[in-house]
Amino acid sequence: MIGGLFIYNHKGEVLISRVYRDDIGRNAVDAFRVNVIHARQQVRSPVTNIARTSFFHVKRSNIWLAAVTKQNVNAAMVFEFLYKMCDVMTAYFGKISEENIKNNFVLIYELLDEILDFGYPQNSETGALKTFITQQGIKSQTKEEQSQITSQVTGQIGWRREGIKYRRNELFLDVLESVNLLMSPQGQVLSAHVSGRVVMKSYLSGMPECKFGMNDKIVIDKQGKGGTTDDAGKSELGGSSGKQSIAIDDCTFHQCVRLSKFDSERSISFIPPDGEYELMRYRTTKDIILPFRVIPLVREVGRTKLEVKVVIKSNFKPSLLAQKIEVRIPTPLNTSGVQVICMKGKAKYKASENAIVWKIKRMAGMKESQISAEIELLPTNDKKKWARPPISMNFEVPFAPSGLKVRYLKVFEPKLNYSDHDVIKWVRYIGRSGIYETRC
Amino acid sequence: MPYFGSEETVKDLKRALSNPNVQADRLRYRNYITRVIRSMTQGLDVSSLFMEMVKASATVDIVQKKLVYLYMVTYAGHKPDLALLAINTLRKDCADPNPMVRGLALRNMCNLRMPGITEYIQQPILSGLRDKASYVRRVAVLGCAKMHSLQPNTEIDPSVVNELYALLRDPDPVVMVNCLRALEEILRDEGGVVINKPIAHHLLNRLKDLDSWAQSEVLRLLLRYCPRSDDELFDILSLLDGFLSSAHAPVMAATLRLFLHLAAAHPAVQADALSRARGPLLAVCGSASRELRFAGLSHVQQVLRSQPAQYCSHYKRFFCSYSEPGYIRLRKMEILVELVNDENVVLILEELKSYCTDVSTDLAQAAIAAIGRIGRTYTEKCLDILTGLLALKQEHITSAVVQTFRDLVWFCPQSTGPVCKAVEGCDETPQDDEGKQALLWLLGAHGELISSAPYLLEGFIDGLKVEISSAVKMELLTSTLKLFLSRPAETQDMLGRLLHYCIEDEADMNVRDRAGLYYRLLQSGPDRTRQILLGPNSDPSMTVLTGRPEEPVSVWASSFNTLGSLCGTGAGPENLPAEDSAHQVHAAEEAELGFGPAEQNLNTEPEEPLSDAAAAELDLTAGPPISHEAFERLWLDLQVVHQQVLEVRRPPEPPETLQAAFLLVKIQTLAFSRADAALWKAYVYSRAGGTLLLAELLQGAPEEPESEGMLLVSIKQQPENQSAVRNFISVLKRVLQTLSSNTS
Repeated sequence: MIGGLFIYNHKGEVLISRVYRDDIGRNAVDAFRVNVIHARQQVRSPVTNIARTSFFHVKRSNIWLAAVTKQNVNAAMVFEFLYKMCDVMTAYFGKISEENIKNNFVLIYELLDEILDFGYPQNSETGALKTFITQQGIKSQTKEEQSQITSQVTGQIGWRREGIKYRRNELFLDVLESVNLLMSPQGQVLSAHVSGRVVMKSYLSGMPECKFGMNDKIVIDKQGKGGTTDDAGKSELGGSSGKQSIAIDDCTFHQCVRLSKFDSERSISFIPPDGEYELMRYRTTKDIILPFRVIPLVREVGRTKLEVKVVIKSNFKPSLLAQKIEVRIPTPLNTSGVQVICMKGKAKYKASENAIVWKIKRMAGMKESQISAEIELLPTNDKKKWARPPISMNFEVPFAPSGLKVRYLKVFEPKLNYSDHDVIKWVRYIGRSGIYETRC
Repeated sequence: MPYFGSEETVKDLKRALSNPNVQADRLRYRNYITRVIRSMTQGLDVSSLFMEMVKASATVDIVQKKLVYLYMVTYAGHKPDLALLAINTLRKDCADPNPMVRGLALRNMCNLRMPGITEYIQQPILSGLRDKASYVRRVAVLGCAKMHSLQPNTEIDPSVVNELYALLRDPDPVVMVNCLRALEEILRDEGGVVINKPIAHHLLNRLKDLDSWAQSEVLRLLLRYCPRSDDELFDILSLLDGFLSSAHAPVMAATLRLFLHLAAAHPAVQADALSRARGPLLAVCGSASRELRFAGLSHVQQVLRSQPAQYCSHYKRFFCSYSEPGYIRLRKMEILVELVNDENVVLILEELKSYCTDVSTDLAQAAIAAIGRIGRTYTEKCLDILTGLLALKQEHITSAVVQTFRDLVWFCPQSTGPVCKAVEGCDETPQDDEGKQALLWLLGAHGELISSAPYLLEGFIDGLKVEISSAVKMELLTSTLKLFLSRPAETQDMLGRLLHYCIEDEADMNVRDRAGLYYRLLQSGPDRTRQILLGPNSDPSMTVLTGRPEEPVSVWASSFNTLGSLCGTGAGPENLPAEDSAHQVHAAEEAELGFGPAEQNLNTEPEEPLSDAAAAELDLTAGPPISHEAFERLWLDLQVVHQQVLEVRRPPEPPETLQAAFLLVKIQTLAFSRADAALWKAYVYSRAGGTLLLAELLQGAPEEPESEGMLLVSIKQQPENQSAVRNFISVLKRVLQTLSSNTS
């Protein structure tokens, strides 16, 4: 259980402090500030032990959130709780920043009061919380609303309330993936994985039952035995062709998905929450489409000059466009000047970040572009060799690098008279770069 | 008080709060109350506003109410008499038709920490337990726990406990879990909530309705339950099965822990659970948030203690990324060391090598140390890398490399030659204490192989006056003396200077005493000095031969998924009892081996038929196993009684087969080197009649190249009995011949 929760700004000033149990005193607030935030060396571990009290912290931009306890708790659970706390706050007021926290100070105390009681997590579903903690505060509630709220707070299906109605039944499906890569200078993939999320926004009436299908290898193989003709008809939602099926390493679902059905038939069926939520999270490591290849060439010319040439190649269909491409080429600390020439986009040397930042707005598939830079160095006495940090890259592409395709999403609502065909469905694929690094 | 002019602020607030105009304007009123809370958060003492705040609690505005309650909960302890004024409002709210208001009031009433409050809250809590809204029941259940914590020494009210046990059947899952939490706190002195069969089954069936926090808590409490029969056990395990792949890392880890605990008697089930949890665990290690990644890595480290082989093929998952914080990278390196095998060693070393030049000194040194650890098995490859690093001529790297060299020489004596060559070629000397000590040790212990050793030592002796660390000075004394014994001509002069300085001018007591001790030792003659200073040491290469044993799961399962696993291996208090028992076992062994086990056997069991035939007496018998430490001690104490080259090749079987074969003929094994090692060694022992036989099998001994492929047996015995030795040799020969004929 959690004894107290504190939120600090980057200077170590307390923005929020809520103590749940007697064993945590006011001095705990100061202990964390002195020992962790103001500590001279880098953070050694996300768990700090001070005087038999454990402090778990996470950092969001420059805000520190710390949970304190004196018990031998499950550390992973405390961290998950802190993330959940961040999610809830983001859902209420957007980005977690000092200003936002100061402005929503009352709201945060209200939330902290509901989420934890006596240090035990009680209710952390944003949907449920939003029904009774509203930002306007003074709100007269009718009897009907009141009973609805209580049933919402305590109902069996905690994520959806009864009696939702929409004129237009719509749903939006986003496949969001982040592709991570670590590549050796010779172009050998050291490690690569995609972590993806399927995010759904549903505006559906009643208590609909949904069924979601994707090109999961296990399912396809199973159906393949039955008959393959069925497949072609079903893939209209998935769009373009590509790899037939993908192997998912592991996946986890929103609590609404019936896990027993997934285990037995590997079908994903659920009653969706209202509004936006994350349906599933998955990870793949095999057959990943790497959207970009970075080819670095670094040459040291004497002790005071460095020549860098970087080629990037886009590796996807020419009809698709990648966006927001940014290549970050690190430079040594003793750089005195940089001359850059690039074929496409804009490149700039940013001395404060010790890097050349090359930005390209758009780039089609199967193209290549290059940048060359001459870096002048100040001669130094420091014999330390420059460690050459990897070249990192950011981008956004309109397909799923894992190869995941949505095959269908069916909606059944037996009580209300709308059918699967009346629901308007939208599917979107976005692949972003996670940690996408090439060593040089 | 942290803020200047705090008194002014408090006065201003007081004035504003009691201003009727402000009170009339809801928003302004709430604004001032917010300012009070803000000052409170910043650590300002605003307790003098208590009166005004109590008045503000009588409002219909729920948000304002919450703020005032928060204030009262914080300061009620300071002003108990004033807090009593608020109780009436709170009690009135407890009867409000709106369940949210009822719950809020009850929760805050229970949160007030002051003496004498119990008599006021008892009644509302009891009625709250029977409230029709589950929101209020949730609050009331925890209220019981809060009430108990207010007066921990009073007797436990059995009616409340019974009521809570009954509420375990509540339809609302959170009420149920809160009941468990409350009972756990109330009954702490009696060992917490009792989990009997009906409760355990009820909890298991409800598990899927709970949220992830509740799930991991219930799973933890279920550790207390032990199933009656195997059938029940497997039913439970199949119920839990789905949770092994839960979306939430804590739930997954808690399930795994419960699996390991329940299946303690079924190692196969445990192994299966571990292998199925591998995917989810690896996923946590690659999760987007670094704290969870850190927790995941710590847990993988624990699993590795029993099943290192399982993760070998996934070594790439543990490669570090540039943007990761140091604590994750250190953990990853520790794991990589564990995962090394013949296939991946090249790639792992390549990867570790690239970390050695990291900007962060700590990380670079950790990477070098990791290479050193791998070097204990793959000596040649690692020595090349380490020697290459010396060429970078950077202080912190040189220091770490020298320290690694020292450990390597100690654990793998065959690496001495290359190490000495590398040290000689390196012209940078470490500047930190640790590095200096390591270099000095190398110079002292193997000075005869490093031609420049005296000059290097001379440099240290010349700089003695500015040396601060006494540990370095001690090491310098020892190594100069050792070098003097091996190369007296070059060292005599500087040893004299060193001793003179340390005895006459040194301020540190320890160094002075050590110098005096060595001086007197030298007076007793060089032979005596050599005997004492260079006496036999324990042989650490034995532990390398055996490798780190795979620990049974039960050693770490108890600390799995707790804080202990994050704070480093074995740091948790849970491990203490295990250590104690290890000490006891060790002590028992010592007692047993004190006078030789055989002797003791005879002494304590005089009724043993001594009159049996002499031949039977010489038969090998198996006895209680001997620990590594005990064996090592005996080995060093005893002299070799018999040495012989067996005309057999070393059997190519894996160690397990060998061990089984030896055991058949009552020869117990202590340690084997790896099957592919160039210098193959094995230590075995047996008992025959009244004697204990210790034997070393050695193949490819460097000093006898012509015996290539043949096994050299050295036997030590206590007490001596030549016929037993002959018998032992013949048995040994027979076994080895059988084994090698099998394979050919």
